Amino acid sequence: MREECAIVTSNLTKKFGDLVAVDHIHFEVERGEIFGFLGPNGAGKTSTIRMLTGISIPTEGTATIMGHDIQREQIEAKEQMGIVPDVSNVYNELSAWDNLIFTARLYDMPKAYRERRAEELLKVFGLYERREEKVQGFSRGMKRRICIAMALMNRSSILFLDEPTSGLDVQSVLIIRDMIKKLNEEGLTVFLTTHNIEEASQMCDRVAIINRGKIAAIDTPEKLKRTVESLQSIEVAFETTPYPVQADLKGLAGVSEVVKQGDKYRLYTNDPPSVLAALWRYADSCGLKPITMNTVGPSLEDVFVKLTGIRPTTESEGGQVMRRGQRREMGKGGGS
Amino acid sequence: MRVEHSSHLLREIRVTWAVAEKDMRTYYTRPPSIMFGILFPFSLFLSFSIGRSMPISQLIPVLVAQTLFFASSSIGPVVIPSERATQTFDRFLTSPVSLLAILMGKTLAGVIFGIGISIIPLMLGVAFFASQVSNVFALIACMLLSAVSFSAMGMMFASLPGQTPGNVMMPLNFVRIPLLFISGVYTAVRDLPNWGQAISLLSPLTHTIELARCGFGGESYFGALVNVVVLLVYSALFLFASTRFHLANQRKE
Repeated sequence: MREECAIVTSNLTKKFGDLVAVDHIHFEVERGEIFGFLGPNGAGKTSTIRMLTGISIPTEGTATIMGHDIQREQIEAKEQMGIVPDVSNVYNELSAWDNLIFTARLYDMPKAYRERRAEELLKVFGLYERREEKVQGFSRGMKRRICIAMALMNRSSILFLDEPTSGLDVQSVLIIRDMIKKLNEEGLTVFLTTHNIEEASQMCDRVAIINRGKIAAIDTPEKLKRTVESLQSIEVAFETTPYPVQADLKGLAGVSEVVKQGDKYRLYTNDPPSVLAALWRYADSCGLKPITMNTVGPSLEDVFVKLTGIRPTTESEGGQVMRRGQRREMGKGGGS
Repeated sequence: MRVEHSSHLLREIRVTWAVAEKDMRTYYTRPPSIMFGILFPFSLFLSFSIGRSMPISQLIPVLVAQTLFFASSSIGPVVIPSERATQTFDRFLTSPVSLLAILMGKTLAGVIFGIGISIIPLMLGVAFFASQVSNVFALIACMLLSAVSFSAMGMMFASLPGQTPGNVMMPLNFVRIPLLFISGVYTAVRDLPNWGQAISLLSPLTHTIELARCGFGGESYFGALVNVVVLLVYSALFLFASTRFHLANQRKE
């Protein structure tokens, strides 16, 4: 076990009856890095974070936080962490100010210090003017910001964020991402679970992909993309498509798979030049006007799809079916 | 900058008080707290006492004991299921403080609620119905120990898996209401048959009633010392069971 690691898990396992939610996982998170824990819904992300933060007791295995065992040195381990769960678990009956002050009291922070810190955080998150209002009336994004501010009250060394931007408006997402980056630059270790591939790709130093309770891969986003370099694709959008063209596109020579993404089609191939030529011929013969045509390198999404076997519902091929909402969350990764 | 912490025990006490204070502000005025903690004991008292030939001054200890019993044991079943449903209880589990300190804080909220409500009939009895407190120590022991014991009992039921206060109140009432009939509330313990006396010895409510009667000039059938010891044992037992249930939940969740 390396002392310099912020988080070390060994054989960490969680079982719910016969279901193995987290299956003997091992990983290490370096101090000062943003570590992404990526996986589809039900993959074991939240179960892992709940064990690491002491909410849930592991069925097997151990985890240390800044060198402190989460079972045997709970207090010391918990002093090191701030937690933002997947649900904004704020006290709706209390004001924004009281939520922060109560959190500080749980950490036994001195009065003057907690009041200074609460004021500072409320100002940073743009909520100082509304500090006396009950959180009940706040929007989802504002509650999320309060929740993050509560997690930062004790100036922890590690911040656990479980789906921090899920379901939020664009403005809140940008504020939160910016804040996470700034905190990380100041030395905070961030453990981020998400099913938003673009978020993981943009923010994380390293990413672990978890599927069905097992770690499928751990590496930097760019290195993970390189593992599926053979997966190249062409992205095309037509001005209008008077009839469904997906089946025709799949029939083009060299195309292995077609995925519809909004108004675009993504054609997977090992031979982009031949497919590009065939695509031009097809568009010309059918009177379709291409308005976009790009060759695209493998994205983190491709890595994810390859490792988890989860693919969009638009494909009739084998593999698991991805839920609509989940697919929507998955932005495009790298491009060329 | 890291915050330096003072001694562990003092820290646990401060957190316990912070939890209790927050629960008092947040949950005392919730409808289930008012319904099961205030209206319920007063309604039960009226339905059992109206028409009986007992003088009201003798009924005051019964009402004090009954309000202590219901009010103290109602806060835990309101607080914990609500906090588990909104996941705010997770905040306690992730904070650097023992589970016992958290549960003590929640118990304290029930204790203060129970004592606060039961002081009303006590004051009314003394002010308007010629009830006389002849043994202050017995009465203080009654209120304090009973409130702790019953609040911890409510906490124990609330610690069982259940997502709404209603889900917890049902099994709790399944125990609370029968206890009224075996604890010498409306029939003195000395008038119960031998088997009834044996059962009543096991009920914590018996010892509350006995101490309350002692406080108002009556006698305790089992002796005040026995009453105090039994209530202390039950308090410890209920708190211990609560922590075990929470740990079991953490293993299951």
